[in-house]
Amino acid sequence: MENILQVKNLGVKFRLDGGTIFEAVKGTSFDIPRNSTVALVGESGSGKSVSAMSIVRLLPREQAIVAPGSEVLFNGENLLNATDARMREIRGKEISVIFQEPMSSLNPVFSVGNQVSEVLRLHMGMSMRQAWTRSEELLNEVGIPNPKLRLNSYPHELSGGQQQRVMIAMAIACEPKLLIADEPTTALDVTIQKQILDLIAKLQASHHMSVLFITHDLAVVGEIADTVVVMQNGEIKEQGAAKQIFETPQHPYTKALLMCRPSVSKRPMRLPVIDDFMGAAGLQPAHLAQRARGYAADDEIVLEVKNLSKHFQLKEGLFKKRDVPAVKDASFKLARGKTLGLVGESGSGKTTVGLTLMRLHSASGGEVLFDGVDLLKLSERDFMKYKRRIQIVFQNPYASLNPRFTVGQILLEPMTIHKIGKDEQERVQMAMALLKRVGMPEVSFYKYPHEFSGGQRQRIAIARCLTMKPDVLICDESVSALDVSVQAQVLNLLQDLQDEYKMSYIFISHDLAVVKYISDQVMVMSDGDVVEVANSDEIYLNPKQEYTKKLLGSIPKGWQEDKAA
Amino acid sequence: MSAVLTSNTTAAPIHQASPGLWTLAWRRLKRDKVGMISLVVVAFFLLMIVGSYTGLIARNWSKEVGVSYANPSFLAGAVNLEAAKTESREGAAKIPYVDLSDIDPLAPRYKEWEERTAKIKVTETPRSETLLFGGDKWGRDVLQKAIKGAQTSIFVGLFAALIATIIGTTLGALSGYLGGRVGDLMEWFYNVFSSIPYILLILAFAAVFASSPAMADFRGVPMVIAILGLTGWTGIYRLIRAEFIKHGSREYVKAAEAIGASHGRRMFVHILPNVSHVCLVQLSQHVVQFIKAEVILSYLGLGVPVDAVSWGTMLAEAQSELVIGKWWQLAAAGISMAILVTAFSMLTDSLRDALDPKIK
Amino acid sequence: MGAYIVRRLWQMIPTLLGVVLLIFFLFNWVGGDPALVLAGKITNAEQIENIRKQLGVDQPYWYQLWVFIKQIVTFDFGRSWATNEAVSNILITRVGPTLTIMIPVLLLETIIGVILAIGVAYVRGTLTDRITMMICTVAMSISFLVYIIVAQYIFGFQLGWFPVQGWSDSFTKNIVTYAPLPILLAVFVSLAPSLRLYRSFFLDEVNQDYVRTARAKGLSEKTVMMKHVLRNAMIPILTNVGISLPGIFVGSFLLETFFSIPGLGREILTAVNRSDFPVIKAATVYLAVVTMVVNLAVDVLYKAVDPRVVLK
Repeated sequence: MENILQVKNLGVKFRLDGGTIFEAVKGTSFDIPRNSTVALVGESGSGKSVSAMSIVRLLPREQAIVAPGSEVLFNGENLLNATDARMREIRGKEISVIFQEPMSSLNPVFSVGNQVSEVLRLHMGMSMRQAWTRSEELLNEVGIPNPKLRLNSYPHELSGGQQQRVMIAMAIACEPKLLIADEPTTALDVTIQKQILDLIAKLQASHHMSVLFITHDLAVVGEIADTVVVMQNGEIKEQGAAKQIFETPQHPYTKALLMCRPSVSKRPMRLPVIDDFMGAAGLQPAHLAQRARGYAADDEIVLEVKNLSKHFQLKEGLFKKRDVPAVKDASFKLARGKTLGLVGESGSGKTTVGLTLMRLHSASGGEVLFDGVDLLKLSERDFMKYKRRIQIVFQNPYASLNPRFTVGQILLEPMTIHKIGKDEQERVQMAMALLKRVGMPEVSFYKYPHEFSGGQRQRIAIARCLTMKPDVLICDESVSALDVSVQAQVLNLLQDLQDEYKMSYIFISHDLAVVKYISDQVMVMSDGDVVEVANSDEIYLNPKQEYTKKLLGSIPKGWQEDKAA
Repeated sequence: MSAVLTSNTTAAPIHQASPGLWTLAWRRLKRDKVGMISLVVVAFFLLMIVGSYTGLIARNWSKEVGVSYANPSFLAGAVNLEAAKTESREGAAKIPYVDLSDIDPLAPRYKEWEERTAKIKVTETPRSETLLFGGDKWGRDVLQKAIKGAQTSIFVGLFAALIATIIGTTLGALSGYLGGRVGDLMEWFYNVFSSIPYILLILAFAAVFASSPAMADFRGVPMVIAILGLTGWTGIYRLIRAEFIKHGSREYVKAAEAIGASHGRRMFVHILPNVSHVCLVQLSQHVVQFIKAEVILSYLGLGVPVDAVSWGTMLAEAQSELVIGKWWQLAAAGISMAILVTAFSMLTDSLRDALDPKIK
Repeated sequence: MGAYIVRRLWQMIPTLLGVVLLIFFLFNWVGGDPALVLAGKITNAEQIENIRKQLGVDQPYWYQLWVFIKQIVTFDFGRSWATNEAVSNILITRVGPTLTIMIPVLLLETIIGVILAIGVAYVRGTLTDRITMMICTVAMSISFLVYIIVAQYIFGFQLGWFPVQGWSDSFTKNIVTYAPLPILLAVFVSLAPSLRLYRSFFLDEVNQDYVRTARAKGLSEKTVMMKHVLRNAMIPILTNVGISLPGIFVGSFLLETFFSIPGLGREILTAVNRSDFPVIKAATVYLAVVTMVVNLAVDVLYKAVDPRVVLK
C-alpha cells in the first residue's frame, strides 16, 4: 500500500519556563497509508499530540524546537523544510485538522457559515455566494439538521456534538488527503462520541481520505483504526495492524494498556496495573478471578434517599424566576460495604444528587435517611456530627487540594475541625499512617500538592476523607481525569479500602465500563430523572429502558473478531 | 490557621519543608534580572525615606543654605541674576511670581504659603553660590528637598494603597464569597462609588475634607492618604470579588465545606492565601498610581501643604522657575519620581510573573 | 432588548439613590457647617445664623435631603456660592470646551492604540516588542504634570508653535489654534498605558484554540490577526473604552487649568478651591447619571461585537 505520509525520526523539544528543555518526542517514525485510518495511542505526556501537530507545523513557535534530521514526507515532500506559504497551501486543503474542544476551537464571534465558507474561498477560489451554498451542502453531509438556518448560527448556539460536526465540515471542505483528528470525541458524551466516530469512519471511506486519529482510549481505537501506533514518553513502543496489536500485543506496555482498562464483559478481583506487566511477576490469580457483585437480601442499608429533588432558580427578566429542575424525585438505597454506581451523560443530574445529599447544595425536597435521621432536616449545628460520616472525592485532582496547604495541613485540617485524635502529635501520626495506607511515602506530609501527579493527588484526597473514617464515600468522577494505567491503580485502592473499612461508595461517572466494574448496583439518570436502578450485572445484560439500551449500545466495544473479517 | 501551621512546624523538625508557592515565586523573581534591578532601586528609595524619616539624611532640607536659585555644581559658572535680585531686595516681604494665568487657582494661596514658609525660616548662615543639584528660590538644597519630597510622596502612596487594598479585599471577599444579600449590598456600594467619575470623586472628597471640622486635625498628609484610600478601592474590590467567586466554586473549597470548615475558615484560611498574590500585585500597582495622584493633588494645592515638601509641591514651584530658566527643581522632582515609578512598575510586572506563572 | 433597557434603567434607581446619599452624607454631614464655609472670616453669630436660614441647614437632615432631591429632579441647584451664577448655567456652558478637547483625544488614542498594539502583538517576543514595552513603562512613570509643564514651555514659550494658552468663542478657531497642543499631549500621555493594555488583550487571544484552528485552515498570519484575533480583542477593548468614556465629560482638569480652557474640569477645580459646594454637588450627581447611561449604551453596543451577549 502506498503511503500518503511518512514520519521519519521525528524529534521535538520544548523550551520550558526557566530555561529547561523537555524532550516531548524522541525520534519517532511511522507511516500513514492511503485510504486508511492510523490511530496514535498513548497516555498524557506520551507525545502523541505533539507528533501530530508537528506534521502541520502548528506547535507554538516560541517554544517548540524540531530536531534536525527529522522528516515529515507528504507525498514525498518534506513538510519540515517547506516555506510558510507552501504550508498554508497545504493546511486546510491537503491536510486538515480537528481538535478536542470544539467549543473553543471555533471562533465565537463569527457565524458557522462564515467560518466554513472562509476555507472554501481561501483554497477553492469560490465566491462568497458559491462558498455559502457549498457550506450548506457540507453541513448537510456531516448531519446537521436544518443546515440553511444553521449557517447563520454562532458556535455557542450549537451543542457540543454539532460544534464538532461543524469542525469536521470545515475540515473536509476542500477534500483533504489526510485528516488529523486530535482526541475529537474526548470532550463529548458517549452517545455523541459514537455518532462522531461513525461520521468520521463514513467520511473516510466516501472521501477516500486517510485519517490520523489521536486518542488515549484503546476501546475507541478498536472501533476505527486499521493501523495502531502505541506511544509512551515520546517513544513508539509498538506499531502494527490493529488485529495484531489487539490480539497478539508484543510490548508489555501495550499489554498493560489493554488489560488495565476495565471492560464491560469482565470483572477481575483486582485490575492489572502497568507494573504487573513491566516486572517479572506477570498476571496473578487476583487478576483472573472474577468478583461477584450485587446487593444481597440481608445487606444493611446505611443510606436511604427518598424522592430527592433539586431545582435551581434562574433569574429571568425583572422579577421572574425560572425553576430549572436538576434532579427529580430520585430514590435509592445504599448498602453497607457496597457500591452504588450513578451513570448518565452531562446534565443528567448525577453530580447534583451527590452534592445535594451531603448538603453541599440545598435540596428542594425529599429525604436523606442516615441512621434513621433525615439529614436534610437537621440544623447546621446538628448536621456537623454527620458531616464526617459522608465524604466526597472530586473529579479534578488539580483543583480539589488547596495549593497553598502542605499535604500535612490538608490531612490535619479535618481532624482539627472534628477534634479527632487527642493531641496534635497523635493526629500527625494518624495522618502519616493514612498516607502509607493510600500508598504515599511519609515525606509527602511536608510537600505541596503541585509536587504530585494526578493519581497521587487523588490518593491524597482519599486519605483526607479517610481521616474522618466516613461510612459513605461519594466518588464524583474521581477517576475520570486519570490516565488508564493510573485509573486502575486508584480503582484497586478504592476496592481495597472498601474491603478493609466496609465503606459504602456512591460512584458517579460517565464511564460505563468503570461503573460496571466497581458497582454492585447501578442507577441510570437522564435529564434529572432516574431511568433505571438495578444490580449492575442485571442492568448491563438486561436493560429494561430504551435510554439505558441506547447508552449501553454506545460504549465503544474495542476490538472485535468479526470486524477483521 | 495558626493551629495547623504551628503543628506543622513542631512536627517537622527532621524534614526540610518543601518550598511553598511564595518560596518558589521568590526563586523565580531572583532569576528575573529586570525584576531584581527594580527591587534594588525600590529598596534604595525605601531606605532613603527611612533615613530621611529618622533624620539621618536630608534633615536640613528647609535650611536656606544657598543663594536664591543657587546654580547646580555642574553649572557653577552660569550667571545667576535672580540671586542678585533677591539679594538686593533682602528683607522685602513680597517676591513677585511669574504669573502664568490670570485665573491661576493657586493665586490666593501664594501669600499663605509664603507666610508659612516665613515661619520656618531659620537663622542666617553664610550662603553658598552653588549647591550639588542647585537651589530653589529661597536657596534651599533641591537634592535634599527631593529626598524629603520622596519621603512624603512614597509615604502617602504606600499608606493610601494599604488602606485601599484592605477595604477592597475585605469588601470583595465578603461579596464574592457570600454572594446573596450581602453580595448585592456590596455591589450596590461599589456601583455608587464607580458611577462617579474617579477624578470627580477625589475632588469631591478633597473639597469636603478641606472644609470639614472633623478633619481639621488631619490636614496635610493624613488627609491625602484618607482621600486616596477611601476612593481608590473599587478596582481592587472588583478583582478580589471575581477571585473569590472563582475560588469559591473550586473543588478544594467544596472539599473544605464537606469536611466541615466554617464560612470564616473557608474564606480566610482556605481561599485568602490563594488570592493573596493578587492583593500584593494590586497593592504594588496602587502605590504607583497613588504616588502619581499625590503629586497632582499636591500640585493643585489639595494635597500636602508647602511646608511639608513633596514631589508635587516641588513641581508646583518648578513651573514658574522654568520660565526664568531654572530647570533643576523640575528635573530633580520629575526624574526621581520617574525612576522610582519605573522601578516600581517593573517590579510589579515581575512580581505578577513570579507569583502567577502560566504553568501551575 | 426594550425590556432589557427598561430593566437596566430600573436598576439605576437604587444606584442613583446611593450616589445622592453619598453626596449628601459627604457635603451636608462630613463637610461641616456650610454657613461657616460660606461666611469665611465673618464671625458675627447673627450673620451666620442668617446664612444658615438662607441655606436651609437649620432644618432637620431629612428635610435637607428632600430639598437636595428636589434640586436634582428640577435641575435647579440654585446659584454658585462664589460667583452667584446659576449652577445649571455653569454646567451647560462648560461642557462644550471639555468635549472639544476630549472627544478627539478618545478617538485618536483608541485608534492609534489599537493599531500600534496589533503591530506589537504581531512581533511579540522580539526585541522591538520588548523595547516598545520598556518605553511605555518609562513614559508612564513620568508625571502628567511634567509633560504639561515641559511641553507648554517648549512648544508654547520657546518654539511658539502653539499659543501658550487661551480659548475663544469660535469652535473652528479653538480646534485649529488652541486645542491641538492639549489634545496631542493627552493622546501622547494616554497612549502608553493603552498600548500596554491592548497588547495584553491581543496576546490573550493569540493563545486561544480558535486561533490554532484558523492557522490549521491555512490562513496567513496577517488574516489570523486582522480578522480572527482583532474581532475578539475588540470585546475587552470596547469595555475599556466604555470605562474611560464617562471621563471625557470631566475632561482633563490639569490640561484645562494649564491651558486656560473654560471647561468643566477647571470649573470643578475652581469650585473645590473655593468650597463652592452647589457646583460640585450638581456636577457629581449629573455626571454619575451620565456615567450610568453611557455604561448602558456600551452594554447594548456589546451585542454588535459579541454574538454571545444576550440582552435580557
